[in-house]
Amino acid sequence: MVARGICKRFGRGATSEIVLNRTDFDARAGEMTFLVGPSGCGKTTLISILSAMLRADEGDATVFGADLKTLSGRALSRFRGETVGFVFQQFNLLPALDAAENAAVPLIVHGMATGRARRRASELLDRLGLAESLKKFPHELSGGQQQRVAIARALVHDPKLIVCDEPTASLDGASGHAVMNILRTLAVRPDRAAIIVTHDDRIFQFADRIAFMADGRVVRTEKRPFEEMH
Amino acid sequence: MKLIGLVFGISFSTLLMSQQGGFFIGLISRAANVISDAREATIWVMDPQTETVEGPTNMRATELLRVRGVEGVLWAVPLVRASGAIRTAEGRSTTASFIGVDDASLVGMTGRFIAGAPEDLRSPDAIAIDQLGFARLWPGEPLATGKVLEVNDRRAVIAAITDAAPGFAAPVVVYTRLSQALVYVPGGRNTLSFVLVRNVPESDAATVARRISETTGLRALTSQAFERATIDYVLANTGIAFSFGVVIALGAVVGILVCGLTFTLFVNDNIRQFAVLKAIGVSNGRILGMVASQAIVVAFIGYSIGIWLSSAFFDGVNQPLSDLKGFWLPWQVAALSAAAVLAIVLLATVVSLRRVFALDPAITFRG
Repeated sequence: MVARGICKRFGRGATSEIVLNRTDFDARAGEMTFLVGPSGCGKTTLISILSAMLRADEGDATVFGADLKTLSGRALSRFRGETVGFVFQQFNLLPALDAAENAAVPLIVHGMATGRARRRASELLDRLGLAESLKKFPHELSGGQQQRVAIARALVHDPKLIVCDEPTASLDGASGHAVMNILRTLAVRPDRAAIIVTHDDRIFQFADRIAFMADGRVVRTEKRPFEEMH
Repeated sequence: MKLIGLVFGISFSTLLMSQQGGFFIGLISRAANVISDAREATIWVMDPQTETVEGPTNMRATELLRVRGVEGVLWAVPLVRASGAIRTAEGRSTTASFIGVDDASLVGMTGRFIAGAPEDLRSPDAIAIDQLGFARLWPGEPLATGKVLEVNDRRAVIAAITDAAPGFAAPVVVYTRLSQALVYVPGGRNTLSFVLVRNVPESDAATVARRISETTGLRALTSQAFERATIDYVLANTGIAFSFGVVIALGAVVGILVCGLTFTLFVNDNIRQFAVLKAIGVSNGRILGMVASQAIVVAFIGYSIGIWLSSAFFDGVNQPLSDLKGFWLPWQVAALSAAAVLAIVLLATVVSLRRVFALDPAITFRG
């Protein structure tokens, strides 16, 4: 994943605000890259652009061979569905669906039969330790369990890019640690990149690389070989 | 709760549209019931000033002979139509449409008799009254012939009871011989309201009607054309269509408002879930399809309840002794109501989803 000279401005005229200011960013398959920095530095905007949710005003972003600038709105939507898996701070599970159905949503919306999608999602939830909770609804699950369902939803369709926004912010220390262990185990593969946006320095140990942002730019990148931390 | 509100709104809207639509059709159909009840006649001949079967301008009796002389006429008989008051010995009274039919042939009378027979009208002072009229004059009593009453202060005897379709201006319909009718409702010099004609079998009724008009200068229409002309006249010269149209439109507006507001609330409550779906790659078209399919299911449930209530209403009121006899729910009204409900929910779906279509999926990253 290569981003060069990315600019993004919100608003118009005198009230407009430059959120990303000609920033560069790189992430590699097989690595977990952390994007860290103070609030308002542009982390969320940058991952929104890299995950094809937002268009950059200027600059180029190439993700697994796709030049995001050239894709139409429909193609961006398809790209997100096929290539990206999301884990959100607020979990964002669909309240009317049980755990297995929530995890199966990406497969169902892309055409897989409901029964087959549910079986595949259930297998993944089983690996995440939620075999007993397949039929539970989000409000019946703890925060850590909900985040594991969200991880299953992000991984179930085997995307090449995993984007996690503050995945441990709504969890206590032990649950956050457990969630990061799961992400480290399941999300990092030689053909897949994972980007984690976080403020939580307790989980920096799980990173292969940390990009520090300030004032709309990536100002420094540190390589932190995961093995060295253990 | 929103679902219940939505189902209720659609049910109410369906009920209002279909019930008022059925009422409208039933009411304007009454205007032409006398024509459809006279099944033997294929052509109606009348004074050129006559617009409807309910309010004829009478002609001279000699016009009958002129019509009989036109080529293609198999037979032609007179018919007089007027209004009069009926009073019983007990003092009950009602207004009725009087139809005097040809003394010899009795052509022009309804074929549906509940008690007695057409031939019974040949007795002195004999009339045939419909069961609604009988029930109004002798409420609670079993239908029976032989009862004596007054028609415009003249003696009349009920010789038969019919199941005639109700009239438009006066729902009670009384049949009698033409000579007897002229006693009850004197017509002065002009004693002929209509001439009922049957064309010879190998001829075309419309052609014969045109020929009668050309030859006699009278207005001659086929039965179907006269039914249409009568209904058109009622629609054009009364406020019925406007009044019913307003209520039916109100039903549609209620449906649009309830569906639109409920769908908008639903979208607002679930905006984050829609953003999640968009984030994971669901297109706007797919979201529209998902919501529209749910809306159609809800619409089906609401419509089913509404149309059931409407048909139950018409089943309840369309009874032989009811003032609303002859009012029913035509399948065309039910089909149009279904189409209106479908249009309402689809319109409400599209309008309420506009916010979702413009939704930035990146809001899912905001806490």
